[in-house]
This record gives sequence, structure tokens and C-alpha cells, in this order.
Amino acid sequence: MTVHDMKHAASDSARLEAVGGRLSRVDGPAKITGAAKYAFEQQLEGLTHAVLVGATIAAGKVSAIDSRAAETAPGVLAVLTPDTIMELKGASDWLGNPPSQPTYNPLAREVTYSGQHIAAVVAETFEQAVAAAALVKVWYDETPAIVDLSDGKAGDGIPIDAMTKEWGDAQAAFAAAPVRICAAYNTPREFQAAMEPHGLIARWEGDELTIWEPSQWLDGMARTYAEWFGVPFENVRLVSPYIGGGFGSKALALAHSAVAAAAAKMLGRPVKLVLNRPQNFTSYGGRAATRQTVAIGADKNGRIQSIVHRGVNETAVDGMWVEPLGSVTSIMYATPNFSSRQNVVRVNTVVPGAKRAPGENPSAFGIECAIDELAHELGLDPLEMRLINYAEQDPHAKKAWSTRQLREAFAAGAEAFGWAKRSAAPRSMRDGHQLIGWGMAAGTYPVRRAHGEAVVKILADGSVVVESSSIDMGQGTYTILAQTAAETLGVAVERVSVKLGDSHFARAGVTGGSRLAGVMTGAVYKAAGQALDELIGLALSDPRSPFQKLQANTLQVRDGRIASPRGEGPELSVAEFMAAVGREQIEAKGDTLPASTTAEERYANYTTIAKSIPHTEGDYSRHSWCAHFVEVRVDEDFGTVRVSRVVSALDSGRLYNPKLAESQWKGGIIMGIGQALLEEGIVDRRHGRIVNGNFADYMLPTNADIPDIQTISVGIPDPHSSALGGKGVGELAIVGIAPAIANAVFHATGKRVRDLPITLEKLI
Amino acid sequence: MNDQVTISPTTLSIHLAINGRDHALEIEPRVTLLDALRDRLHLTGTKKGCDQGQCGACTVHVDGERVLACLTLAAQVEGREITTIEGLADQDGTLNAVQAAFLEQDAFQCGYCTPGQIMSAVACIREGHAGSDEEIREYMAGNLCRCGAYPNIVAAVRQAARELRS
Repeated sequence: MTVHDMKHAASDSARLEAVGGRLSRVDGPAKITGAAKYAFEQQLEGLTHAVLVGATIAAGKVSAIDSRAAETAPGVLAVLTPDTIMELKGASDWLGNPPSQPTYNPLAREVTYSGQHIAAVVAETFEQAVAAAALVKVWYDETPAIVDLSDGKAGDGIPIDAMTKEWGDAQAAFAAAPVRICAAYNTPREFQAAMEPHGLIARWEGDELTIWEPSQWLDGMARTYAEWFGVPFENVRLVSPYIGGGFGSKALALAHSAVAAAAAKMLGRPVKLVLNRPQNFTSYGGRAATRQTVAIGADKNGRIQSIVHRGVNETAVDGMWVEPLGSVTSIMYATPNFSSRQNVVRVNTVVPGAKRAPGENPSAFGIECAIDELAHELGLDPLEMRLINYAEQDPHAKKAWSTRQLREAFAAGAEAFGWAKRSAAPRSMRDGHQLIGWGMAAGTYPVRRAHGEAVVKILADGSVVVESSSIDMGQGTYTILAQTAAETLGVAVERVSVKLGDSHFARAGVTGGSRLAGVMTGAVYKAAGQALDELIGLALSDPRSPFQKLQANTLQVRDGRIASPRGEGPELSVAEFMAAVGREQIEAKGDTLPASTTAEERYANYTTIAKSIPHTEGDYSRHSWCAHFVEVRVDEDFGTVRVSRVVSALDSGRLYNPKLAESQWKGGIIMGIGQALLEEGIVDRRHGRIVNGNFADYMLPTNADIPDIQTISVGIPDPHSSALGGKGVGELAIVGIAPAIANAVFHATGKRVRDLPITLEKLI
Repeated sequence: MNDQVTISPTTLSIHLAINGRDHALEIEPRVTLLDALRDRLHLTGTKKGCDQGQCGACTVHVDGERVLACLTLAAQVEGREITTIEGLADQDGTLNAVQAAFLEQDAFQCGYCTPGQIMSAVACIREGHAGSDEEIREYMAGNLCRCGAYPNIVAAVRQAARELRS
């Protein structure tokens, strides 16, 4: 290698390592060698194993439990029932609202959904606990259950006034419009189905509790445990070094978490409790089933006059979940008249929860299919239809977009896909017995913002440590925070060690709503900047510093070496300098909160979501945007649908690491393909039970289902959205995929399927 | 459910050859290879995703062939040669070509299905089933990845197969 080549390589590596560089995952080597220890893989002395017993009815009372056989089975240490488990205190909810009941029992006497935990067996080994759990006998007084939204007993539900969005006179304008479409769109109950099951290890030492649990929100979950057991927040330590996928499901401490922690306290031994795969379909909520009607009135040129939207989502008998169905409907297109309202309907299910892009995802399925239907009605190209109704500002908030590269996304996606070659008429493209369809849809996700803090330490050997209680579940937090610290401090990435997933580190709010990267790069940027200021201040002023006699105003650090910007005077590595001034470390804590924030406000900021900053705060409306172009092949005889090509152009603002962002985008697109064609929780109508709660019957996309996917970044730095200019990445790309596929299926076959998933019996 | 069932406390003394090392175990006959690896031998690189043979996260090699450790009893594989993700790299830490390609192609996100994907990919290439992207997709379809790294997994297997051929 020549000297020239080496210089070249160095500058390549600098580009790779900087914020915006395509650095490979820094946690990658641990994950590809099996060395990465996930939360409940910790090995503890005296570990016991708990297995849950779930209700086999969906509604009624547990009238009796006979646990004698289980209690005397080999290795069994305890059988916990609603009567024998210790009493817990009620905990406040994720918004910080105080508990509705003073006490909490995670094992149910009153059953409101099938699979609800009613007993737990703790034994010396996992096998013993599994065997003994099968010996627990339960008697019920069963009452009729409302199994799903289509149940005759379900009714119209409860209006959620906070979801109402209205301007103009939508009904009158719709009635008067020369061109009208109105249709109903349904999405089924869907599941996050992370590959790592939910579970935890709980260990008490006196009144100090350590929980090893996969978590999207260490501080929020630690608060819940502290409240359940009536111990100070500081006494709870939550550890979650790697998370095997969350997709919204791992942000809260749940009933099974409480059972494990209570069992550990009662037995005085650490307890491991991992939900088996079927229990992962009933112990926490997936995406609620939804129903929407979308009515659009337009003039003859395709200009929208009115949108009338009504939505319903299912929620639980004893818990509230609102899936905001009007979120995309109200901002995607310009319209002078608009009305959106939403109800929720109680059914016998576990409380539904967040699954990738809650709200935006089903919302986009409605409006993005409807706009395609309107384009077809008018004989307009679906892309042209969207450009005619392009919203130049937020139609709901009536504010300017911070950035909206959607027009650019349409152009770049259409160009790469070859959209101009599309033959407009349905059933007009084919390849032998396969009908070919080209469809498109747009997507969006708001820029959710919050605050976070980070500690950055410069150590005596010149290496850097970043600490935060935020987490990495595959989005690349370890990597982008290393890049941020390295660039800010002027050191190589391999000298930076990022430590995450411990609630005793500097605090962070929830990792959800695609907010973490923007929040935490901001916090690390600030903390690293403070550490750098302190380092340079010390170099300029400390009597032992070789730079002190330079009388310079400032210094710079590059490649881990300190020097004056003009190159005069000494040049020292950070380690040499730390030795010269006799410092062990320089530590700075940076957060993005205003300096006046009180301790109580800080606690609320990190342990509830009540302090999230609205995306329409101030003068701007902040969102990520995308446009998807999809090709499907539908077998004319069998109605089987295969996605054969996807091109998506996305505006996530500035990308902190395009290699990792592209992976997340593709992941969202793939989950969207599953949603469109495969995924559906099927409820048995007699027993209200999820009958396909496993990975063979609840079908996830496999490698063989996924074609080549091209993603194109059209984002520009958005200074209104985050400190470094990024917007959201993780949730964006799933939004709009299902409607793009449904629209492509219509183009291929001439049949509108408005009811996901698009399975073959709906096409033949 | 039958409360007349008596659960035998009988344990077996077995030896398992894992990654070239001998491991002595005292276990009940019902212990799966997966739980023996994870709970008894603390080799947690092999993952439990479903425990029902549906996801592939627990894929290991027995005598060079891919098997699902959750559907294999530990006692069944005594005397066989077992390789797990921890035994794939060389003694000196040099990564297997498949591991290196997974890192380079970003063929994983959360990393939980990854050991199973990599063990499957090594076998897929060895079986001669990595001749085309189409073939790779088909022969890697038994390993689920919810993060959706599939296109990057195909790229990694393609790259590793090419490197191993040359």
C-alpha cells in the first residue's frame, strides 16, 4: 500500500465514522458471534423458573383453583394464585395519571380475556415448572364474551371526542361534490411478534430490585415496579443491554412482569419468567382491529372538496386504547372541508397496544386506498391525483411544514420504478397467467420529540465512554451515538464505548414513536460538546498544560490529538494531555431540557410521556414523509398475490447513518407486506380465543416472500425537528405499504379488497 | 390435563461434544438441546424464539447439518458433533465468512434471529443451495426475521457463498 492510499483510506474511514457515515453496527460483532447477552440470558446463582397458567375462557370468574397436584410435583417451590400472591400497590399509567385502584393483582379472579394470567408455578427448573403448570386445575363461572368488533353485542362504542377534527362543512360539501366515493376499510388484529419473547429475571436484595427485562423504556418501567412494590424509584434497577425486537410492545411493565417480581420477593430467590410463544399473543396487546369509512368529494378536475372520515378501533373491557385513525387522513391532502370522528368498542381482549406506527398505519390504509379509488373514478393517474391535492401546509394545524420532501419522493420513486410506463386500465398488464399490477401510496409519521440526557466521559487513556438509559433494539442507537460522540470530540469511533440499557445511567424517555435518535443524538452532542469545552478549557488554563503558554483562544481535537487550529505549538494525544495535567477523567452530563427544569419535572419527563413536545409546537408542523411504488403479481386462477418489486422514496430528514436507516426502512416495508397479505389474528367465536397464536399459523413474511426493495433518501436536514437535523425513521416506512399493495392488486385484477389481509379467497 | 401423571425425577448422565469441547451434563430426559445449551451450559448465543420449531432462531449444526435445537432432546445428540454460533469463528477469533458478510451487509437489526440465520446460512451454502438469490430466499425461508433484514441476508449469503467458492 502506498502512502497515498493510506491517506485515502484514513479519510474514507473518517467519512464512514462521522455522523451521516455508513458505519457498520458497533454492536454487530457481539450479535454475530453469540456473545451479546440479552436481558433474561443473565446467569444468576439460585435462579428459579416461573411458568404462567392462563384463563381458558374470555369472560367470567375463576370460581376455584386446585393447585395441590402442582404444589407436590417435583421441584415446585410455589404455586401463586389470585389468593396467594402478595398484594401490590396500584401504579400510575404511562401518562402519569394516578392509579384507579389502590391495589393491584396481576393474577385475575375476574377474567376479561382468554389467556389472562390466573396462576403461576415456580420451580427449580424450567421443565419442572412447565410440567407442574399443567397440573393446576381451574373452575370458572363463564359469562358471554364479546369476541370482536363484528360481535352482535359489541355495539357502536364510545365516542372519543379528543380524536374529532373538523373544519368547514364536510357533510354539505361532500353532498354537493360532483364526484364522490365512499368506502369502508378494515384492518384485523395484528401482532408485533418480536423474535425475542417477552420475559424477565427479577431479583430482590433487601428492598432493592433488579430487573433484567427487554425494555423500550427503562425509566418508565422502573417507575412502575417502584410504585407496585412501594420502594423508591432509585431502588429499582432495570437492565436491558440488547432487545430482540420490540415494535412498540416492550415499553411497559406488564402483568407477567409483576408476577415474576412478586414471586422473587415472596421466595427470596431470583425468578425467571419468559412468556411462551402462544402467551406472547395474549399477554400484551397487538394492534387493535380497526374499521374506517372514508368519503371523498371532488370537483371534476380531481380537486378534493371534502373528506368525511369515521373510525372505530377495538379496545379492552378493562383498559383503554385509542388507535388514532384520522392522523394521516387529516394532513395528507389539501381540502377546504374535513370531518373525522372516532369511537372505540370494548371487546374481551387484552388491552391493545402500540405496534409500529400506531394510528398512522391504519389511517393511511383508509385514505391512501380511497384516494386511489377517487383517481380511478376520475380517470386520473394516482400520482397525478396526489399532486393535484398536494398540501402546501398542514391542513389541520394550518402551519407551514418544517420540511416536506414528498413531491421529491413522488418524483424520485416514480422515476426509479418506471411509473410512467404504467398502463392505466386494471387487468391491462400480464405475464402469462400472472396479472401484474402497479400501485402506489404515500405515508407519513409525525416527528415526536422529547428530552433525554447523556453522560460523556473522556478517560485517562483518551478513550470516551457514553452512558444513557436509552436502548438499542436494532435501530442502531449504539452506533449513531458512538458516531455523534466521536465526531463532536474529534476522536476515532473505535475509541468510543457506548453503554446503554441500564436505568442507573443518565435518564431517557421512551424509545418509541421514532423519537430516540433525534433526542439522544442531541443529548450526546450536547454532553460531548461540554466535555470538549472542559478539555480545551483545561488545556488553555491548567498550569501543567503544555498549551497554557500558547496564549491561544481555543484549541481543536482531531483524530484524538489536541493542537492549536493554526498548527503552532505542541500537539498531544488526549491520553498524553490527561497524563500531563494529572486527570483521571473529564465527565459531562448533557440534557436537552431548559436549565430551569425542576427535579420533579425531570422525573416526569423521563418516566411518563406527558411531557412529549407536540409536533405542531411553534410555527411548524413536523413530519417524515414517503412514497411507495409496488408491483404485484396475482395468479389469475388461484388469486395468490406476490409482491415482486418495491421502490420507496423517503424523507426522514438528515440520516445519522444511512446504512442502518435503510435497513429500518426495509424492515418497515417488509412488516407492511406482512400486514397487507398475511397477518391476521383469528378469534374463535365460541371462546374468544386467538386460535393462531404461534409462528406457523400467524403468518409473518419469510425470506421467500420478499423481493428486492429499493429505498431512496430524499430528506434534507430539518433544523426544526432535531438538533442534528434528522426526522423519524423507524415507523415511517410501514405507513402506506398496505394501501400501495391493495392499490396494485386492484390494478392487477380490477378487484378492490378493502379488508386486510388480501388473501386469495377475497380475489377468487 | 391428568393429575395422576407422576413426574419422574430420573436424570441422565450424558456427554455432549459442543464446539469441539466435551460437556458432562446431569439432566432429565425431557430437557431439549436448546434448554441444555442456554440454561445448563450458558451458551446463550442459540436463541429461543418460539420453542415450537416454527422460527429457526435455535438453529445449530449436528454433524454438520442444520437442526432445530428446540425440537431436539439433548439426550438424542450424545456422541454427535454439535456446533453453535459460539463455535463458528476460528479459535483466533477470525470470523466465518458468513459472519463477516452479515456485518458488512447489515443483515440484522435486533440480532435475536441472527445466530440461527447465520447457522442456517452456513449450512445453506454447504448444501449447495446458494446458487441464486431465488434459491437463497427459498432455503433461508425457515428462519424468521421480524426486523425484516431479509434482502440484506440474501446479499450476505450471496457474498459469503462467492467468497467461499473462490
